[in-house]
Amino acid sequence: MLLTLIAALPFVGSIAAAFLPAGARNAAAWLAGVVAVACLALVALLYPGVQAGGVETFRFEWLPQFGLDLYFRMDGFAWLFALLVSLMGALVVLYARYYMSPEDPVPRFFAFLLAFMGAMLGVVLSGNLIQIVVFWELTSFTSFMLIAYWYHLPDARRAARMSVTVTVAGGLCLLMGVLMIGEIVGSYDLDDVLVAGDVLRAHPWYGALLILIALGVLTKSAQFPFHFWLPQAMTAPTPVSAYLHSATMVKAGVFLLARLWPALAGTNLWFWIIASAGAASLLVGAFSATFQRDTKGVLAYSTISHLGLITMLLGMNSELALVAAVFHMMNHATFKASLFMAAGIVQHETGTRDMKRLGGLARSMPITAAVATVAAAAMAGVPLLNGFLSKEMFFAEAIVVGRSLGMSITLPTIALLAGVFSVAYSLRFVHQVFFTEPSHDLPKPGHEPTRGMIVPGALLVVACLLVGVLPAVTVGPVLETAMMSILGPELPEYRLAIWHGFTLPLVMSFIALAGGITFYVLLLARGAVMSPTPILSRLNAARMFDVANVVVVRGAAKLSHLFFTRRLQSQLLAIVGIALVAGVAAFGSTGWSAGENPLTPIDPLFTLLWVVGAACAVGAAQQAKFHRLAALIMLGGAGLVTCLTFAWFSAPDLALTQIAVEVVTVVLLLLGLRWLPRRIAFDDPRRKTPRARGRRARDFLLAVAAGCGTAALAFAVLTRPQVSDLPGYFLRNSLEVAGGRNVVNVILVDFRSFDTLGEITVVAIVALIVYALLRRFRPAPESIDVPKAQRADPAPLTTAVDAPLPRGYMRLPAVLVRLIGPMAGLVSVYFLLRGHQAPGGGFVGGLVMASAVIVQYMVGGTMWVESRLRIHPQVWIALGMIGAGTAGIAAWFAGKPFLSALAADLHLPLIGDVHLSTVLLFDLGVYMLVIGAVVLMLVALAHQSLRSPRRVPVEPSRESAEETDEAEAVV
Amino acid sequence: MSVLDHLPVLPIIVPLAAATVMLLLSESRRGLRTSIALGSLLVQLAVALTLLYQTTDAAAHIWDDGIGVYPIGGWPAPFGIVLVVDRLSAMMLSLVAIVSLSVLVYSLAHWDKPGQPFHSLFQLLVMGQNGAFLTGDLFSLFVFFEILLAASYGLVLRGTGMGRVRTGLHYIAVNLAASFLFLIGVALMYGTVGTLNMADLLGRVAALEPDERALFDAGAWILGIAFLVKAGSWPLNSWLPGAYAVSMAPIAAGFAIMTKVGVYAVLRIGTLMSEDEAAATILGSILYYTGLVTLVSGSIGMLATQHLKRLVAYSVIVSSGLMLASLGLGVESVTAPVLFYLVTSVLTTAAFFLLTGMTDRTRLQAPVTDHIETDREMMPDYMAFGIRAPDPYGTEEEVGAAIPAAMAFLGLMFVCCVLLVTGLPPLPGFVAKFTLLSVVLETTPTVGARNAGWVLAVAVLATGLVGIIALTRIGMRLFWSSTERRTPRLHVTEAAPVAFLVLVCLVLAAASAPVMRFLEATANSLHDPDTYITTVLSSIPDTHGDAESSSGDLGGGAP
Repeated sequence: MLLTLIAALPFVGSIAAAFLPAGARNAAAWLAGVVAVACLALVALLYPGVQAGGVETFRFEWLPQFGLDLYFRMDGFAWLFALLVSLMGALVVLYARYYMSPEDPVPRFFAFLLAFMGAMLGVVLSGNLIQIVVFWELTSFTSFMLIAYWYHLPDARRAARMSVTVTVAGGLCLLMGVLMIGEIVGSYDLDDVLVAGDVLRAHPWYGALLILIALGVLTKSAQFPFHFWLPQAMTAPTPVSAYLHSATMVKAGVFLLARLWPALAGTNLWFWIIASAGAASLLVGAFSATFQRDTKGVLAYSTISHLGLITMLLGMNSELALVAAVFHMMNHATFKASLFMAAGIVQHETGTRDMKRLGGLARSMPITAAVATVAAAAMAGVPLLNGFLSKEMFFAEAIVVGRSLGMSITLPTIALLAGVFSVAYSLRFVHQVFFTEPSHDLPKPGHEPTRGMIVPGALLVVACLLVGVLPAVTVGPVLETAMMSILGPELPEYRLAIWHGFTLPLVMSFIALAGGITFYVLLLARGAVMSPTPILSRLNAARMFDVANVVVVRGAAKLSHLFFTRRLQSQLLAIVGIALVAGVAAFGSTGWSAGENPLTPIDPLFTLLWVVGAACAVGAAQQAKFHRLAALIMLGGAGLVTCLTFAWFSAPDLALTQIAVEVVTVVLLLLGLRWLPRRIAFDDPRRKTPRARGRRARDFLLAVAAGCGTAALAFAVLTRPQVSDLPGYFLRNSLEVAGGRNVVNVILVDFRSFDTLGEITVVAIVALIVYALLRRFRPAPESIDVPKAQRADPAPLTTAVDAPLPRGYMRLPAVLVRLIGPMAGLVSVYFLLRGHQAPGGGFVGGLVMASAVIVQYMVGGTMWVESRLRIHPQVWIALGMIGAGTAGIAAWFAGKPFLSALAADLHLPLIGDVHLSTVLLFDLGVYMLVIGAVVLMLVALAHQSLRSPRRVPVEPSRESAEETDEAEAVV
Repeated sequence: MSVLDHLPVLPIIVPLAAATVMLLLSESRRGLRTSIALGSLLVQLAVALTLLYQTTDAAAHIWDDGIGVYPIGGWPAPFGIVLVVDRLSAMMLSLVAIVSLSVLVYSLAHWDKPGQPFHSLFQLLVMGQNGAFLTGDLFSLFVFFEILLAASYGLVLRGTGMGRVRTGLHYIAVNLAASFLFLIGVALMYGTVGTLNMADLLGRVAALEPDERALFDAGAWILGIAFLVKAGSWPLNSWLPGAYAVSMAPIAAGFAIMTKVGVYAVLRIGTLMSEDEAAATILGSILYYTGLVTLVSGSIGMLATQHLKRLVAYSVIVSSGLMLASLGLGVESVTAPVLFYLVTSVLTTAAFFLLTGMTDRTRLQAPVTDHIETDREMMPDYMAFGIRAPDPYGTEEEVGAAIPAAMAFLGLMFVCCVLLVTGLPPLPGFVAKFTLLSVVLETTPTVGARNAGWVLAVAVLATGLVGIIALTRIGMRLFWSSTERRTPRLHVTEAAPVAFLVLVCLVLAAASAPVMRFLEATANSLHDPDTYITTVLSSIPDTHGDAESSSGDLGGGAP
């Protein structure tokens, strides 16, 4: 339970800090400090439990089916890291309180710092590999937010992006690797994984998973070749650099390597991947650190180098090396954090981190100078300091581990070379900042900082000294506990002491010291102290990242134009083409065959009918772009042929409905034609290019193929015997059960009335949309003028509102149409009522009525009709829907499902037997809705001509703005 | 039948009724309109959650095997239309209700300004989605697709601007083409097997002769193409980024579930028909490869775009691709994680689209396309003719208080959405991806093409990285470029839905064990369709009584 508290407390504190007002500097710092100290206390309290190989655990089931639990587990090694994280946290909070400027919104800083602390504690205390990944990514994220804390600086933003890109990519690799481990071991629990080393190493996936985990670890610990993000991350506030980018987060990688050491180490592959990455980082880091001008840059590269040293130790497959690695993790954290703090103090007090400008600060800042000097000495591996001890162990291992002759020369050489550089850059750092001639062009004159800033660094330096002088007493027991939790009770023979006798490692230490000093003196003598890093400085990570960014965005933009078309034509081409392929592919194995139903003899008249219909259809498609009126008329012709076909094959209901639909559609389209923009001329030169011709030919072929394919499919289905039980069932039950003689209508209003309800809803929606669109419609400028035909005619076509009849040649049609009105209404009601028994129904009835209204509008003119006849189309639509819906819901009161028909046979005087059914109400609803929908569209169209023409200012096309937006790679 | 028995039909009737009543209200009755819309969605949420409960094992006494069948009109299964509530549909209904409610509340801030029948169309959109998830009949599925598409046409075209109209019409044309394919497919299937009932299909397909089977397959494939268009599968998805990007934020969010309707259909009908080994393999590999290409294309789109809403639209494509490719592996155990992914993806996308509506306002000049034009000059004409004119007055008052620290809130929500979209811990996007990868790895040795699982796993992780790269770039520009930004005024009604959706995601992550158990049960019943089939086909008493059995063959007679 205490364990969860350790991990949870920082997150709680983080949320609390986030809610503090931006100026609450002290409150935020106190909060963070209290949380860190509380964590530290809790960690300390748990020490007895982990001593002597004990393990504290706490498990909370999260997703047990997938082996994912919240499982906190603290053994000696985890304890050591938890201590490091919370102790460093407490010191950094103290330091940051004084480091951060009063203008900075500090609560945000502390909120993320605490969140990071929680995440880092989560990483070290997790007993489940997936859970480690969860917290791992959280550390990446909080690191991102902290690096970009001063987000107004472009460098900070870029550094943050760079670090998050690299570490998240690594984290995803780690996730994959961990998943593979889980798959092999059958559990993500650390307890199970650590004992399954032999299984893992023997598994065929071992190589792959090792590479993946190495990618995760090396990116996180800023190891070569992924080290470039760390120096960039130095744009973060210095407390962040001290805490995340030297003491803790970058240690997460090596922590995990050590954690998984028993399970994964011990193979040649491990050695080659881990040790060589470590060695490369060790050298590259140390070499680059020697030439940095930025104080924090020196420290960043030296961090890379020291982490390389740890990684190399871990890669050596030796238990002693492991001990040295863990020891050095602690040592590095102490001296590097205090160095960062010192660098931060210098920047804070003088206003610069440029070593070329800094100098001679030892006089004005003696305490800081002392702290920094001791810490740098520890970093260089000067005896009596902790860095010396672990570095000597490293030298010893470098000598022992090499098995072949080449290795036994290479490893010590690398170690020695790195040692030389490390002495050189430590010396250079201290010398240039504190001990040269005092500089006079500093932005601010340096002086000692407030006590709060110097105390944390000083405490760490004291720790360096204590460990360096009395290692066995101070860290001995803790290190032993930690090592036992990794290696088991059988620890290798090692001795923490300053004096091991006059050994080769000691000699190497002194050679390194001497060599480093010589190298620095030579640099000084040649005046090359501030020269850029030879060779490596040409690889500018920031620049390369920017270039990569641009390349990726540009490349993606190009590719995305390949993948996605913005043209409707190409999209439809893909749809039709793929559907064609799919339809044809289905016949791959059997081939297409017609059914065995006998074909009726060919009737010449019917054939002629269809030839005409087909010609109309093709003509309509061909003319659609060039002569819309002709196309529309031919469309009507094709529709008419369809109607006749239905009638020919004894489907009066279909024929009736089809003809009504045709009439209404064609007329409404006709009314809309007037507002369409100017058509394309048939002989437009753009149509003549070979490309356009080719495209048309392609589309034509595809259309023919798809059409023929559909016809073939239809033919194949229609020539096969009827297999469905449905028609039989419908025919049997139509009259008997549903009480209607007209089966088609019974299907529509009873058997499948639900579909009808849905379809009338669609009709209603479409009408509403047409209305909504046309209400905002602005005609194209060229179609605003009164049409030519109207201009040529002296007599006004529309009827004056108060005149009973129009003058001129429209008088006769007007009389006829007005006579037709009531007749049409009567017919429509007749169709509605008889629908259940004979051809008709609400849909046809509604369309007939709507056609009558349309005709009135066309002949009388909008104003004339609307001054006499008030149709509220939306109300009709709503009432229709209510009618149909009520018919459905009524069934509930009879205890039946929705849309069940309720019928009653009544005997009324005079009229006789009447069959009343809720389906009639349903059909009435359809009737009203259809009228409402059609009239709504009609009204919307009709009112276009009443509107005052208005020219809208051409608004800047958003689309084009977006396109340029996309083409530009933003850095 | 008791009241509870009618529950399955309510998700269709309630929004329809609400939409109808709203048509009768004048546009000035904003308060009443709002309460009707809210009430309707609250009822739907309650109904959906009740149905969800009824399908769980805890309520095994209500429905056998957690499958409820509701015969519309009382006609028995293969003859009439039935609504079927099983775990999958109940889950989808709940998802629709949660997302729609959030979207509705969000749109109340100012997005529902009069000018167009927003509320009616929105209710009908919800009705179409609910119906599509409920119906057990292929043609009825078509009808509900039409309803939801028709409503979406109107919603996409809300607002002004050339770009919006062009893309909107593009969207309409593509979907009409897809609907046409849908119809051809259903017609062929009906013509060969003689049934429209999904449960009835299976037994009949198995009995087909090879030549008939080929004909049926042609229908099924064509139908499948229609579904893939809706699911946003490459190369049929060019319409998607544009359509989502030009739609106003709440509308795009309301569409979050639309591509999933396509995936749902693939899942529902695909599993019903995958009994046939050979067909299942072909279907699988097609789904796998198209899914993979879709995923890659979506990722490339995410990298290429600089426009947040378009980027979210591409992430919709990525999620579709991921689901299709995973389903295409042909491993049954992958279904539960895919469903988990589906749920989180819908919630995430909705939240993210809603968020874009607010982040757009941080630009100094709000984009022109988000203004709805209220056309005053037309009012007189329309008043006279019975069409309620828009009320341009009385809508400008700001609802709710502006939230302090608006940017902080937006930032936090943005981060949550990024983590959700990219599947990074600790939000449920990670749980979804983790479970998916874990299952994929577990089954790699058994999957037909051995490398398929590996490739998919790499693709899944890589899309996460791509998401991070693309979203940090856009996020930095949105929140961290100090110039050209202003802090927007947010309404509580806008902020709360986003926070609510993210909260639902968090709850999902915390309760992933029970959720996953439910989804596993869902997957099992999908892969063992026998129960579904027998329940649907046998459970309905023929309340009318077939004339043949009840009174002999007297009437209409056999053909």
